[in-house]
Amino acid sequence: MARMKFYCDVERCIECNGCVTACKNENEVPWGVNRRRVVTIKDGEPGERSLSVACMHCSDAPCAAVCPVDCFYTTDDGVVLHDKDICIGCGYCFYACPFGAPQFPEDGAFASRGKMDKCTFCAGGPEQDNSAEEQRKYGSNRLAEGKLPLCAEMCATKALLAGDANIISTIYRTRVVNRGASVLSRGVSYQNAELRAARGVKGKSSLND
Amino acid sequence: MTGFFSPPPLKGILSLLLVMLLLPAFPSFGATADLEQSVQPIQIPNPASDLWREVRQRDAAMTGSTQALGVDGGVLINPTGEKWRQFRMQQLLPYGGYALGAVVLILLLFYTLRGRVPIKAGMSDKKLFRYSVYERMIHWFMALIFLFLAFSGLILLFGRSLLLPLMGPALFSLLASASKEGHNLFGPLFALALVLIFFRFVRRNIYQKGDLTWLLRGGGVIGKKHVPSNFFNMGEKSLFWLLVFVGGAIAASGFFLLFPVFGQGRVVMELSHVVHGIGALLMLSVIIGHIYIGTIGMEGAIEGMKSGYCDLNWAREHHDWWAEKCEQRGEVLDRDQPISARGADALGTPSGQMSEEAGK
Repeated sequence: MARMKFYCDVERCIECNGCVTACKNENEVPWGVNRRRVVTIKDGEPGERSLSVACMHCSDAPCAAVCPVDCFYTTDDGVVLHDKDICIGCGYCFYACPFGAPQFPEDGAFASRGKMDKCTFCAGGPEQDNSAEEQRKYGSNRLAEGKLPLCAEMCATKALLAGDANIISTIYRTRVVNRGASVLSRGVSYQNAELRAARGVKGKSSLND
Repeated sequence: MTGFFSPPPLKGILSLLLVMLLLPAFPSFGATADLEQSVQPIQIPNPASDLWREVRQRDAAMTGSTQALGVDGGVLINPTGEKWRQFRMQQLLPYGGYALGAVVLILLLFYTLRGRVPIKAGMSDKKLFRYSVYERMIHWFMALIFLFLAFSGLILLFGRSLLLPLMGPALFSLLASASKEGHNLFGPLFALALVLIFFRFVRRNIYQKGDLTWLLRGGGVIGKKHVPSNFFNMGEKSLFWLLVFVGGAIAASGFFLLFPVFGQGRVVMELSHVVHGIGALLMLSVIIGHIYIGTIGMEGAIEGMKSGYCDLNWAREHHDWWAEKCEQRGEVLDRDQPISARGADALGTPSGQMSEEAGK
């Protein structure tokens, strides 16, 4: 069985927020909820990098461990899903999750939490595949149609990869190997001007230029 | 390209080769030390690992920026979430369960061994006015809210392991959902009850001379000798202050958990939950003891909170300084006497205020 994973290539992400928009549109995500977000670190400084982050579908999911009603389950594809009929909106999964994936729509008095909503890897929920009810509660079920999550499918720079972990890691490994060679010879994107300078290598941002 | 293999690493490799060649010749020569010196790692800056170190917040808290609305959106990885999970699953759940079980077991054991504390002189036909209508009202208001919050909280904490296998997911989800909503709605009322109780009872709960003796003798449990006390004894006073401080901490932390709209992040909520969980279990353990003494543990103890009057002999045996004072003032009533002047006044305060007795 495949084990589905996301991977975001920081050297490629250009913070266009296309994945965020694709996700919101495809899944009709409730107002105030972002299943996916792009985070930019060192914004405007040297070494600025952007990363698209959503539920990472952990093997040992902290959300599932702390849920007081045990509403999480892992599919055969390794996708972590939850049952909104069981969820009570306590917020414990939100505390435990390192990625901030579980989100809560404001529901009822004093902005109290409604039922949790999070990335489903475009795999819907426990309802009948592609039923109207599944669509309403969880959004699209592209996996059942043989498609991958729309965020990754629509990524313009192919920074966001989604699919079987083995395939994803192979693609990424190939990129790293190729990139490593190009960086050491010419210096494309890594900040190793000092390294190249010490070795007398010419590069785009080399100190020797 | 040739410039890349600059002299320093080449020299390093040559010396390494030399050492390797010489090693068999000098087996006892400090070989490992030489090896470590010669194969020092080449310092290559690795921006990727620097990036992930920052994202994992290993060195310091790092926040990025994001277009997504909401608190903590810029935090890519929140490492305290895992600590909170470990606390809840491996400490709060098991040790909290053991603590509650131990309290119940100790009380059962005590009841079996020592039995109910009787009024030695038997019930008298005289009574003393102890709690006004208002005081009884806020006590039972607090008691009902506390019990509801305790049961709903316990369902959320232990329900998954104890109730879910019995009830099935659909029914248990309904119960847990009702518990969560009820816990959230009644939580603020607990804070209100706490404030009312504090202002009403604080004067009589200030520690005084004689309280230390009471504590050292375990309230009369240790040794046969009777321990005198005032309107409230040392144990009741400690319960009061525990309620004020621990109950206050529970209410305050609950406030942060209940209203996720003040811009508090996950770390604040995780810490609040730790305070809330430990505080609530501590408070519950003590309250179980309070309920025990008030009901099956002691004869005549609940009378004051039921009718507002307590038996004179009970007062003499458990709050003798206060009873003495009442008797001196001539405030002893006949059992059949229905309403006293004080009792009719709903907001009246029983005599024997601590502030008066303190000067004794």
